[in-house]
Amino acid sequence: MSKQTVNRESQVSRTAAMALMLLLAIYFLLPIYFLIVAATKPQGDLAATNGLTFSHFNLFENLRVLFTRSDGIFGKWIVNTVIYAVFGAVVGTLISALCGYALAKFQFRGREFLFSVILGGVLVPTTALALPLFLLFSATGIVNTYFAVFLPSIVSPFGVYLARIFANAAVPQELLESARLDGAGEFRTFFSVAFKLMTPSLVTIFLFQFVAIWNNFFLPMVMLQKESLFPITLGLYEWNGQTARAPLLQESVITGSLVSIVPVIILFILLQRFWRTGLAAGSLK
Amino acid sequence: MTDIATRATRRVASPGGRRRLNGGGPRAGTIFAFVIPFFLPFVLFYLVPVGYALWQSVRVVRRTGGQYGTSYTTFGGFEQYTKVFQNDEFWSSVGRIGLFGIVQVPVMLFVALVIALLLDTPVLRLKSVFRITAFMPYAVPGVIAAIMWSYLYSPQLSPVVDLLNGIGLHPDFLGPGAVLWSAANISTWLWTGYNMLIMFSALQSIPQELYEAAKLDGASNWTIAWQIKVPIIAPSIILTTVFSIIGTLQLYAEPAVLRQISSNISSTFTPNMLAYAVASGNNYQQAAAISVVIAVITFVLSFGFMRLTSKRAGL
Amino acid sequence: MSSKVTRFRLAVVAVAASVAVLAGCSSSSPSAKTSATSCAPAKGKVTLQYWNTVPGMDKVVALWNKKNPNIQVETKNISNDQYGILSNALKAGKAPDLSQVGYDELPNLRTQSAFVDASACSAATAAKSKFVPWTWSQASFGDTGVFAMPQDTGPMALYVRSDIFKKYNIAIPTTWDEYAAAAAKLHKADSKLDITFFDPNNAEWFNGLLWQNNAQMYSYSGNKWQVTVASDQSKQVADYWQKLIAGKLVRTDLANGSTQMYAAYQKDQIASYVGAAWGYSMFRDNLPKQAGKWTIVPMPTWGSDGASGDWGGSTVAFMKGSKHLYESVKFNTWLNTDPEALALENQLGGLYPAANAGLQLPALSKGVPYYNNEKIFDVFADSSKKINTSFAWGPTQKTVNLALQDAMAKAAAGSGTLSDALSAAQAAALKSMKDQAIPAAAGK
Repeated sequence: MSKQTVNRESQVSRTAAMALMLLLAIYFLLPIYFLIVAATKPQGDLAATNGLTFSHFNLFENLRVLFTRSDGIFGKWIVNTVIYAVFGAVVGTLISALCGYALAKFQFRGREFLFSVILGGVLVPTTALALPLFLLFSATGIVNTYFAVFLPSIVSPFGVYLARIFANAAVPQELLESARLDGAGEFRTFFSVAFKLMTPSLVTIFLFQFVAIWNNFFLPMVMLQKESLFPITLGLYEWNGQTARAPLLQESVITGSLVSIVPVIILFILLQRFWRTGLAAGSLK
Repeated sequence: MTDIATRATRRVASPGGRRRLNGGGPRAGTIFAFVIPFFLPFVLFYLVPVGYALWQSVRVVRRTGGQYGTSYTTFGGFEQYTKVFQNDEFWSSVGRIGLFGIVQVPVMLFVALVIALLLDTPVLRLKSVFRITAFMPYAVPGVIAAIMWSYLYSPQLSPVVDLLNGIGLHPDFLGPGAVLWSAANISTWLWTGYNMLIMFSALQSIPQELYEAAKLDGASNWTIAWQIKVPIIAPSIILTTVFSIIGTLQLYAEPAVLRQISSNISSTFTPNMLAYAVASGNNYQQAAAISVVIAVITFVLSFGFMRLTSKRAGL
Repeated sequence: MSSKVTRFRLAVVAVAASVAVLAGCSSSSPSAKTSATSCAPAKGKVTLQYWNTVPGMDKVVALWNKKNPNIQVETKNISNDQYGILSNALKAGKAPDLSQVGYDELPNLRTQSAFVDASACSAATAAKSKFVPWTWSQASFGDTGVFAMPQDTGPMALYVRSDIFKKYNIAIPTTWDEYAAAAAKLHKADSKLDITFFDPNNAEWFNGLLWQNNAQMYSYSGNKWQVTVASDQSKQVADYWQKLIAGKLVRTDLANGSTQMYAAYQKDQIASYVGAAWGYSMFRDNLPKQAGKWTIVPMPTWGSDGASGDWGGSTVAFMKGSKHLYESVKFNTWLNTDPEALALENQLGGLYPAANAGLQLPALSKGVPYYNNEKIFDVFADSSKKINTSFAWGPTQKTVNLALQDAMAKAAAGSGTLSDALSAAQAAALKSMKDQAIPAAAGK
């Protein structure tokens, strides 16, 4: 093949590839762009003006209405989401790390069996758990409280799986041995030595669990009836169901959706390298 | 090195030592303390509900006599399961999800693969920009994505519908035939980037030397991509397929949101919606049986797929 | 030792599993009987819990609390998922003393043993004469006990844009045949004009229409529920509306109370509305510019039978576990028969009272400015009296409604008919009752 043909071929492929990716990029960004544009409009303009172009700038008024609606319930939903997804993921990461570390670094009989049981948990669909959990919680009175969503959310078998892989990869056995010989207790070893070595992995585990909880709709929907306990997803879903009767809600649903996804998107872009290490490790089976 | 080993063996040999054969390892109580903070909640919130669902699925409701007799539950054997398999709505929802999965999963994974491959070649510029763009939808929870897309499907508000109307097309994204695929589109939008990143990470860990021999032979980027790269990252493709199968069978949020604006989505559109509707009618035993059946189908399909592909790959 | 660790773990699992088994076992014995044995006044102060979804009810209750220092009532608004919240509370054993329960949900909750029979209290049984007959019949389950006090109703009537009918020189229909003819004439005169809309996602409204045609969907005989959802009377109603849908004489894309609905009325695209008493404020508040154009007349009838139907309305039920039956009866009776209470409920909550005294309220005897100062409530009062008292709801009404709606939506979209929808609802009724071990059979 002559050099010229090769160049022409790559030029054609390059343009084709760029065109394809551009189309896909538009596809991925379209709803988000639409949301941004719609959130800046007053309710009346939503149907009256073109969805892709801005009209009368009304974002601050929409935000004001959003945060003052129903005595500031949207702010409450934000706090609830932080409680469920952030605190839940923090606690979940910690217990997953402790367990995964132990499964990786400690030898004991039944270790593999225990790990298989936990791994089996990865395949259990969380939606299948919600209804029986609901009945169990009803019987004990925890239903319709923060614990009803928080407690099941901290359990992440996948987190333990990742923690085990990361502990094996990041923490050399010799380090542990020397720490033990120096007389350090296991917990002290974990928190002062292993924790620091595993920090990037822990961030990855945290992010995975955060997304899992943030995404989990079925569990809070089944467990919660009190509006003041809703996470943002459930709250917006409720409002969205009422827009036929209360049209002004539509603008709040749109603005609320934007407010809830913008910080998470920014966080993800900033932390995306943690996803790659996590996903690479995960695909190692 | 010898020091540690001697010390270790000495410790084992000495009586009264509670240390184990790996010398200097933690005591049983410590291991327990590391594991139990996860394992106890795991038992309580994963294993117990599974057990409870299995228990409930073999119970039936009976009543004492009279027009409004009081109810009680008793052992019913496989009665609930028989009812599930005789339920037309159950089969419709499974069929619907099956159709959804057979189309949506391959399409989505194919697109993800193409993007991953493109990002891995020198053919494309602005790679990090495109990678981030494809990954962004993953940050959006399913419910909110469905709300966003429901506005893009709505005849009154959607700029897309306006555009298409302008060129003479009048699609009805929420119509009886189309609504399933409108839901499929939302799932595709949400998960393509995530699956792409899994495949991309796998591609990135392939050593460059593998391509050099092929390039010396004059192979084009296209050939390298499809004949070398794809087979190597086959495990990650299998993994994403398994996750997608599991996700498809659990579908709830996206159709539930579309149901708020389209009467073409019934209350029993997907198996999970059926389970929820049945539970809302206070028939927890039947709902449990439905959940168990779905979980078993999920398990069989994902495990089966993994077995099938690992046999094929000769692993 | 490691085996000690594993053994401990197994012990934890065993304990947890047995907890689950015990939880299951505790629900396996028949629950306690539902009727209270005594109606003795309590000694000292009593506090009652009353759950409801009526706007402004707290002010009505405040009125009572002022007058009755020894019987204080606390309210809780459960508009967000009324029956889910109630169901949960019943399961947890934390039900209130009194709760708002719609007429159509009474049998369902009864099968969950949710109520207490207050007939030990003479004041309760004596209240019968104070209410419109059909409401008492349903709240007392055919006079077999006092399980709830009727609160409000939704007698149906026809809301008419008299100006549109006048414009096209069409007489306001008094029978369903005339209504169909008028529909055709209106649509012929203006292709964008429809006589009304058919909302497939509104089983409650459709049930009201079935009620009007004396369709008996449920009865009890031979120790079984006899289910006749798809009876001839039901089918007659279904076929009638199916013809209108097939002839494209009614809109099928609007939901009751939605912005799209108001927009259609505002644009003069719809000429009438088949609605209930509580609907009168909808047009008054959302279409102020149409004041004077609307009038309210009795529902079109099937032949010479002047029957009417009901759409909506609720009772206040005595819930299981109520410890102060005497005080509950006292409050409940006052709440739903005292003229001052009824006036406030009507004013703040838009409730149309079920009590006979309520029908004579001053607010309900006046002309309403929006409707040309007509005494529209006379029409509703009249309608109230013509509502069939033997109509009964089924014990799995919510499930049946959902199935009916799913099937009606299909029919409105062109696949199947409304008659098929009734058959689907009939099948759903039999199946759901069988699932709950409620003895049922397809009736004749």
